[in-house]
Amino acid sequence: MISKELTRRFFLQGSGTVAGGALLRAGVPAFIALSQSACSARDAGAAFETLSVGEGRELEAIGARILPTTDTPGAREAGAIWFIDKAYGSVYADSLAADRVLLADFQSGIAAAYPGAEYFSDLDEADQDAYLTSHQHTEFFNNIRFMTLAGVFGIATWGGNRNDIGWKLVGMDGPPHAWTPPFGYYDAEFMEAQKDGE
Amino acid sequence: MANENQVTFPVDEPVDFVIVGSGSAGGIIAKELSTNGFKVVVLEQGPYRRATDFTHDELSVENLGELTGGDHRVNQQTFRQDANEVAEVRATQPAFYAQTVGGSSVHFTANFWRLRELDFKERSMLGSISGTNFADWPISYADLEPYYAKVDWDIGVSGAPGPNDSFRSRPFPMPPIAIKSSGVLMERGASKLGWNAQVEPLAILSKPHNSRPACINCGFCMGFGCEVGAKSSTLAAMIPLAQASGNCEIRAECAVFRVASNDQGRVDEVFYYDPDGNERSQQARAVILSANGAETPRLLLNSASDAHPDGLANASGFVGRNLMWNSHSNARALFEHPLNDFKGVQVTRIVHDFYETDTARGFYGGGGFDGRPFSAAVPIKYADSGGAPDQPRWGTEYKANLEHNFTRSMSIFCGATSLAQDRNNVTIDPTHKDRWGRPSLRITYKDHDDDMAIAKFLQDRAVELLDAAGAEKYWRIPIEYQSRGAHLLGTCRMGNDPQTSVVDKNHRSHDVPNLFLCDGSSFVTSGRGQPTMTIMALAFRAAEHIGTAARNNEI
Repeated sequence: MISKELTRRFFLQGSGTVAGGALLRAGVPAFIALSQSACSARDAGAAFETLSVGEGRELEAIGARILPTTDTPGAREAGAIWFIDKAYGSVYADSLAADRVLLADFQSGIAAAYPGAEYFSDLDEADQDAYLTSHQHTEFFNNIRFMTLAGVFGIATWGGNRNDIGWKLVGMDGPPHAWTPPFGYYDAEFMEAQKDGE
Repeated sequence: MANENQVTFPVDEPVDFVIVGSGSAGGIIAKELSTNGFKVVVLEQGPYRRATDFTHDELSVENLGELTGGDHRVNQQTFRQDANEVAEVRATQPAFYAQTVGGSSVHFTANFWRLRELDFKERSMLGSISGTNFADWPISYADLEPYYAKVDWDIGVSGAPGPNDSFRSRPFPMPPIAIKSSGVLMERGASKLGWNAQVEPLAILSKPHNSRPACINCGFCMGFGCEVGAKSSTLAAMIPLAQASGNCEIRAECAVFRVASNDQGRVDEVFYYDPDGNERSQQARAVILSANGAETPRLLLNSASDAHPDGLANASGFVGRNLMWNSHSNARALFEHPLNDFKGVQVTRIVHDFYETDTARGFYGGGGFDGRPFSAAVPIKYADSGGAPDQPRWGTEYKANLEHNFTRSMSIFCGATSLAQDRNNVTIDPTHKDRWGRPSLRITYKDHDDDMAIAKFLQDRAVELLDAAGAEKYWRIPIEYQSRGAHLLGTCRMGNDPQTSVVDKNHRSHDVPNLFLCDGSSFVTSGRGQPTMTIMALAFRAAEHIGTAARNNEI
């Protein structure tokens, strides 16, 4: 399998590396067990199309630490998990099986590190951040990081970026994306100077 | 579909011309020949999209290859740095081009530099460079200038003359696009350093022109199609005129896999897969390949026969050789106040003070650089990879940086020369196939040492400018050997000597009298970047010569 990270970084210079191995493992009992759990992401009356409830809960919890809720909305409020659910059922369907294996691998160390906890979403935020820090260079983290960011900042028809939360977050006015100058501080200053005859 | 009212030609009767590719060259040649009375069939492997089909869907366009034939999972090309390696499919396609009616003129950023006089004769000026195929063009700037002017007016170019420009016979047809904050900062920094930040010529309309509307400043230019038709693609500016002539049929989603030649040594039939995957062919009196600098040589190599064992039109062995991507480098910065550079076109100011080769530097090459948002116009990419390298990649601080920095970001993007080398080439992959079953493109590429040196030199200047402009923070993107290119140049070069070139100065194959090649493959040297203007000028010029030859029964 080719690392998706490269695709997601294709305007960066350099060839990067080709990662593999994710398809070499099989069997995801912890993941299946999660599907029996409740999911905090679940909208009233809505259900995931691809992810199990437990998968959704875990991936949403990870996304909520990648782009956390602070004094402004984060990945959870933007509905990134709904993008992820849709993407794994369509354009990234061929990655689902491998990423499920990677999730199981990711979860496999939680119980030992945090007695009494079984899943990432069981941990408090400080422990979640600590656990993610220890996994932030893994293929799994990079995959979920990208999925989360695409869910926050992609167009809303993909299921995320609800109410243009992602675009508003970075100061990008929402659609229809048609503007007249001046656009920013420096061109406004320039235009003002021109007007004043400088 | 956009072609419901167009003329259709029977496949078993020869048309005057079959043109493979509808992009920067093919679209222009189709318009010029069809409006001059010739019967033309254009075979385009991509679909026929209208302006209203183009969206701001970053995931689909940037990550899933909506306009480029899909990502690596479906559109397989292979890459290697050296001929001793086995080429592999990578997550980034090495030859980056659009597959859609209008070709890459649909999704390009629309920076529109002309070449300068020196680009055509640099070999004579500087002498040979060991280990390269550095050569003069068989034409001069003066030969091409009238066609540059034609591009300005017929295609639609906004701009204003700059201090480093070559002569022009006509003024720009419309004023420049309004300066953006990145342009103001380019002017500020350049002025302090004694350089010139000049207006960037753009194939984007600043006011209505030829019944097309002006730019609405949506900001989705780089990699995207224009939803109002203000970007001067051949889709917007040429194809409608070609179809309105009643002499041009655009066959979209038709992927050519072979050009056949007869016992008289002439090409007479073009074979392709139709939208349903069925094999079809179209007879033709002459064939023009404008499929781009990767696809044109691939098609020639895939058209090998007993009469042309090394590929069609390849007696010289130069088909596919001398691939040039232009060398590139990049520096990024943050400023105190919001630029909001995601609004409007990518580039409004450029610096061309380092265009010429300065032998005192100790290496060949020159280039230019521009100020632009780059990834700060597309938020997924910016969130993924646009931040400073010393900042966290996730978490509370990461989020705070995104919120603060997206509007305050700017890049300087440097484009420069690349040298023609045998080792950089397009060949046919022995293993992989594309989604139609055609043997895949195999790209072998490693930048020349001089290409790396000029990229570094320009990046140093870019950093100086960012500092002079008052950036609060700036950083360099590491310069590495390139593994993908959007400028596909030099692979069927023009020349007077059939031993060292593939086509003559009028784009006719040295080997096959009724076969013409015109696109980025015709380039002899790379220029300094932004080659589309020159591809279009070459296309207008080629069409004139081809049309004259056809009328005189000289094909």
